Amino acid sequence: MKNRISEVLTKFADRCDYLEVHIEDTEESRVGFTGNRISELGRRVDFGGNVRALYKGGWGFASFNSLDRIDEFAGHAVDQARIVGHGTSQLAPVEPVIADVALDVKNDPRDVSLADKVAMMRAYNEQVLGFHDEIITSSLLYFDRYRRFWFGSSEGAMVYQERVDIGGRVTPVASRGEGSQSYSASFGGSNDFNVARGNEAGVEEACRVALGKLDAPKVKAGEYAVVVDPRLGGVFIHEAFGHLSEGDNVYENKNLREVMVLGRKFGKPFLNVHDTGLDKGYRGYLVYDDEGVPTEKTYLIREGELVGRLHSRETAGKMGERPTGSARLIDYRHPPVPRMRNTVIENGDSTFDDMIAGIDLGIYAISASGGQTNGEMFTFTAADAYMIRNGKLAEQVRDVMLTGNVFTTLDSIDAIGNDLACHDGGGGCGKAGQFPLPVTHGSPHVRIQNVVIGGE
Amino acid sequence: MKKIIERALARGVERAEVFFYENLETDVEYEAGALKSLSDTEEKGAALRLVKDGKLGFATTTRLEDIDGLVDNALATAAEGEPVTFEFSEAAELPTPSITDERVKALTVDEMMKHSEDAIARVLDYEKQVNTDSATARRMQRIGVATCRGFEAEFERTAYEFYVGGLLIEGTSMLHTGAGYSGTEFGADHAGLAARTIDDIKRGRTNVDISPGKTTVVLTPRAVADIFLTLNLGVNGLYVDEGISPLAGKLGETILDERITLRDDGIRSGGYFSAAFDDEGVPMQETTVFEGGVLKSYLTDRRTAAKLHHAPTGNGLKAKRLIMSKELGKTPSPEITNWVMDGGEKPHDELMSEIGSGVLVDSIMGIIMANLAAGDFSGNLMYALKIENGKTVGRVKDAMISGNVYELFRDSVVAISKEVERTGILGGIGSHWYPYIVLRDVSIAAKG
Repeated sequence: MKNRISEVLTKFADRCDYLEVHIEDTEESRVGFTGNRISELGRRVDFGGNVRALYKGGWGFASFNSLDRIDEFAGHAVDQARIVGHGTSQLAPVEPVIADVALDVKNDPRDVSLADKVAMMRAYNEQVLGFHDEIITSSLLYFDRYRRFWFGSSEGAMVYQERVDIGGRVTPVASRGEGSQSYSASFGGSNDFNVARGNEAGVEEACRVALGKLDAPKVKAGEYAVVVDPRLGGVFIHEAFGHLSEGDNVYENKNLREVMVLGRKFGKPFLNVHDTGLDKGYRGYLVYDDEGVPTEKTYLIREGELVGRLHSRETAGKMGERPTGSARLIDYRHPPVPRMRNTVIENGDSTFDDMIAGIDLGIYAISASGGQTNGEMFTFTAADAYMIRNGKLAEQVRDVMLTGNVFTTLDSIDAIGNDLACHDGGGGCGKAGQFPLPVTHGSPHVRIQNVVIGGE
Repeated sequence: MKKIIERALARGVERAEVFFYENLETDVEYEAGALKSLSDTEEKGAALRLVKDGKLGFATTTRLEDIDGLVDNALATAAEGEPVTFEFSEAAELPTPSITDERVKALTVDEMMKHSEDAIARVLDYEKQVNTDSATARRMQRIGVATCRGFEAEFERTAYEFYVGGLLIEGTSMLHTGAGYSGTEFGADHAGLAARTIDDIKRGRTNVDISPGKTTVVLTPRAVADIFLTLNLGVNGLYVDEGISPLAGKLGETILDERITLRDDGIRSGGYFSAAFDDEGVPMQETTVFEGGVLKSYLTDRRTAAKLHHAPTGNGLKAKRLIMSKELGKTPSPEITNWVMDGGEKPHDELMSEIGSGVLVDSIMGIIMANLAAGDFSGNLMYALKIENGKTVGRVKDAMISGNVYELFRDSVVAISKEVERTGILGGIGSHWYPYIVLRDVSIAAKG
């Protein structure tokens, strides 16, 4: 495969400023249950590649399944780049990497039989359906992917990587006939099948929360002090700040570059945020990104100030900053763009009890069913929530969706806990039509003042 | 396709069904007003469902030269599979909706670039500070299904997609606007979409405060499409079968305001999701879902149809969420096609003029995270305008809308516009036809 890639690079490189070839071979198994039946049980083979060419600042891109016609696609990508390019190619310089990254896993999901994976998920499903009469159905999914990537560039990089991605969730659905409530226990990782095992306690908690929500009133709309748990804190920082830190959202926009200037103050001095590809075992773990750049730990916020961004080689080159190993693609059908890996709010020194003790009327928001941002404003939804009254946890409430504004909400964080925890779910991040990309989040408990919450 | 069926049958399986998919796509992208990239995608793949010893197996591949590997994988899953409860499709008479357009096939990259450049120029002519993006895509697809029971057919489909949008930053206030078109035919009004983008910037450039509480809301067709994600799930055969949908067991009952009639129209001319048959070979059709507020039908695939004793409605799709691309690795399940709602009596202008105070809601962020299956929706007002004395007076920000569709659209509908406009879902693609809808007493949360 490497020879084939080298041949293509040699043949077409002199017609453009930069050329790269990405080939990918994926094998996936999926097991899903819905109610008392297997709703999904399949194996997927996905083999394909792409060629990306840069000429005078313009990109041409071709993706394909037929490797035997790669020369045709490469020629096409170069022709397209030559139509687009009328400026200057600006890729931040990197040392071309030649490397083989073999799989380094504790327990390879491919060593576990499909029968055992089905049995494992069936056991979770039976636990859910047998928990209580008011759990009317369930939704479960397990997947594992074994992926091989070949990457070569006209600058001499040649990187072969093997990766494993494992994820899943167990979702009990509770109902008394009018509307249903659910809550998920989820798991994920990149080096150990056993993350999928031993989740019975989480599944039991999911059942209890889903049932509890049947009796919980909808939250009253308003502005509240909110304490978020580590899972929701992770989604919060991903949406509230992570996306705005991605270089491609900033580099071509003069006004946004002025707003997002390094050194701008976003939060209080105890707010520190980083994004890292170095944490082994997490879904956001990477050795090299999809431009063959070594991954790293990148500080985004230090002591409340913007200090860094997530870059591809192009966005770094155009902004005169350093590439960070953040260029990622979901599969060969797409070009790599700056994405998050494991985004983390670092520990502060508050305790959970201190945080809620200072709140007369507020909300304790736990775990997330997702989040979204448009750059300035963001929303995220708590999968479970409780009122805080007079400094104490009170009744459960439901349908808690929070919204904030990056220019005010981060500065409204007035306490950060000392109990950082990172979490991998079975979902992923979506951007520019590329979903779901494996990412991880981490956070301690965090208190945020004046958060607007929708509701009755 | 026939060959795959034969290979599977030769391995002793009782039943087999093959889905074949080919997509040729060209994408032109402009960023910050300038041409950024040209991309081509050529993808093809096959999915195999088979039944062995009464159990269902499933596998997919994009390595079409390795058919034995595909059959092996499907057999391996069948060994652990679920007893099958439905039949694969038999030969049937198929509709012939208009889903290919020679103008789309003949489009050149130069023409695609020209449409984006012209739209960008219009936006910049209004305000050069707007960071303007545009994208144009052309797809040509071939989709086929064959079964051991004699169904064997394929169809061709084209699609044209166009988007123009802008980001205007004033201080730290960001205003995103944009408008798009997607359909199987070359039907985009490029200048009109640019005009819409400009008009949205003009009307939303000033920020105004809003007091929280219950207020009258005018939903644009785009907002209706997002909020009706609740109804899309409510009539989904899978959600009905599992008892998750509040509409389970309610066929024939009045659910919504009597002025609401909704159809899922899989054979609408030019509709983005229109096709001859679904991804398991069931003819696509027009299905009346609600008529005069009464629930008339669910949307089903073959499995849920058998389970619910309901006719299959041709909604068994391997949809990649909200776009026309196929997620090969997904088995067919009930998904919407093109939704069409009947218009009301009064023109939109007249409805607006009758509103003393309220909010025009166009774009809602985060709605996908709400408990949509229960009918609950909630989200940030990404683009919404305050209305005073029948006129919009500025943009409302940092506020949220929430409600339950089965309550609001039964009890709180004030009026429905005569105009019905084509729109996508979640600010993206798709083709649904919805009117403007005025609701009273909708909860809006905001600071203060």
